[in-house]
Amino acid sequence: MTQPALQVKDLKTQFFTDDGVVQAVDGVSFDLHPGETLGIVGESGCGKSVTALSILRLVQEPGRIVNGQILFRGDDIVTMSDEEVREIRGKDIAMIFQDPLSSLNPVLTVGFQIEEAIEAHRKVPSKMALSRAVELLKQVRIPAAESRVHDYPHQFSGGMRQRAMIAMGLANSPSILIADEPTTALDVTVQAQILELLRDLNQDLNTAIILITHNMGVVASLCTRVLVMYAGRVVEEGPVERIFKEPQHPYTWSLLQSIPRLDSDRHDRLLSIEGFPPDLIRPPHGCRFNPRCQFKIDRCLHDDPPLMNVGPDQDAACWVTMRRALAPNGERRG
Amino acid sequence: MFTRGALLYIGQRLVLIVFTAVAVSSIVFLGVHRLPGDALLNERRPDPAAEAALLHYYHLDLPLPEQYVRYVTGLLHGDLGESYVNRGVQITPLLLREARVSAEVGAAALVFTIGLGVLLGVIAAVRQNTWVDYLATTTSIIGYSMPNFVIASLLFLLFGVALYNWTGGALFYNSGWTGSYGTLDQILVPGFALGFPYASIVARLTRASMLEVIRQDYVRTARAKGLTSRVVIVRHALRNALIPVVTILGPLVIGIVTGSVVIENIFGIPGLGKEFAASILNRDYNIVIGLFTFYAIIIALANLLVDLLYTVIDPRIRY
Repeated sequence: MTQPALQVKDLKTQFFTDDGVVQAVDGVSFDLHPGETLGIVGESGCGKSVTALSILRLVQEPGRIVNGQILFRGDDIVTMSDEEVREIRGKDIAMIFQDPLSSLNPVLTVGFQIEEAIEAHRKVPSKMALSRAVELLKQVRIPAAESRVHDYPHQFSGGMRQRAMIAMGLANSPSILIADEPTTALDVTVQAQILELLRDLNQDLNTAIILITHNMGVVASLCTRVLVMYAGRVVEEGPVERIFKEPQHPYTWSLLQSIPRLDSDRHDRLLSIEGFPPDLIRPPHGCRFNPRCQFKIDRCLHDDPPLMNVGPDQDAACWVTMRRALAPNGERRG
Repeated sequence: MFTRGALLYIGQRLVLIVFTAVAVSSIVFLGVHRLPGDALLNERRPDPAAEAALLHYYHLDLPLPEQYVRYVTGLLHGDLGESYVNRGVQITPLLLREARVSAEVGAAALVFTIGLGVLLGVIAAVRQNTWVDYLATTTSIIGYSMPNFVIASLLFLLFGVALYNWTGGALFYNSGWTGSYGTLDQILVPGFALGFPYASIVARLTRASMLEVIRQDYVRTARAKGLTSRVVIVRHALRNALIPVVTILGPLVIGIVTGSVVIENIFGIPGLGKEFAASILNRDYNIVIGLFTFYAIIIALANLLVDLLYTVIDPRIRY
């Protein structure tokens, strides 16, 4: 086993609002290995984006990391000085965001925004920065990169903007790229192109990717490992084939049931998960998923399940697990 | 820098400005001639023959339409006529010289308005809800609650009297303006009095605008790139935050132009504002009409400049 590129240990990020403390990320731990593609999935508001932002310490007021460690090359990002974090941002760990239009500065040219990403970490003559920007735009397959480098974001299409964002992220050849819903704002054909681009970058440059999405299909097409989050917690983790084939947490199972499948029987209705994600100021007692869980047992109401090994390299935080829930002889009360 | 479309736009605007100038001066021309009494009311009445000669000299004996045509023809050639009170003084060169004096004070006021306003606004936004923010916000509330003549009087007390007594007469603000150009201290004090209320408005607007922009996604992107917070604030946040500030720059320039009438009279600055009050009191009608026309042109040009400034600051705007 190689040394992990990034280790997150018991991360807790909370938002101190007027209504109370929102426990947005509540004890998340995971390892990211070099060159790995890790997917983090979950509904809106489950804490996946806040987890990503916490890694680069980009959580805005009133949010704060209150506990945990984020180990990068042996150093803890949580306790670093602002300057040390700044040096990691964009150089070793880069991040791209959901909406490429609002994430690019409208009054600066695309080329300039890429150049400044380079110049933030290296002293280079501006001519070299420009040619590197053109090279990066070519790498993300922007046609006529030499002239488009002088364009403003509003002159780019949605897909091109996201490519430009990725080019910006790759400017300093980071070892980790965090992509927060990189395809959500794009239409389906463009989505596929962006995912293909990310896959090629992962294979050609060996960049480890953390892909944050609510879309199971996107995870399936890019990731090797999946982390399923619910209400600020990791509820299931494992290799992508295992999770898709034999999900053990009822939440993961429900997410997979809610994907339309071309090969399934037409009469099957799509399953939606009843109810809403819980209030993270006052989370439910016991398992946080219990108010929405159709397989819950008494123990789930007062006893919070930890992540437990449920299969080869697969962990789930559930007292029941789908293996038992779907067992024909109904041996559910365990 | 300018495209063909932009040059065409500027050309159209300049033509419109000429029309505006003619329209404004026509309204004032007709209005002034409707006033009771005539231009020579303040004269010691000489004999009727001399008076008739004077009226003839100024073409005031002609019918009004004919006077008007003469006036507009002169205006289009840049000739605003001759002063009624100080005979032989041509108005166009007089106003141009006074405009230079006013421009010195106005430029200082504009520097205070934008420089001080943006600085206070940015500092308040970056240090939101700290004592720095409260201090900057309170300062700007004081600024726009006080009329400029009150600020001017207080500055007089402070720099003209208090500073004089404190330094034993070595250092003080000397009111009154000798020669056509002011010294730096002569410009700065009235410039501050004129600009401070508007600086306060700019500060409030910049603060609100910065607070909004700082939460934008692209500012987060800039931070995620590893830029220093100074670069993030100045290059990414401030530039976008200034777009609404540029919008109110047009009205603010008008405020500075009209405010200069008060300030120049208080500080005794021989500029357009002082001439404005004096010419009205002296019934020097030609100067009154000329000044209105001048002000119309200055304000129109300032607005054109602001509109062009948009394209510099926001590349999405093209004419």
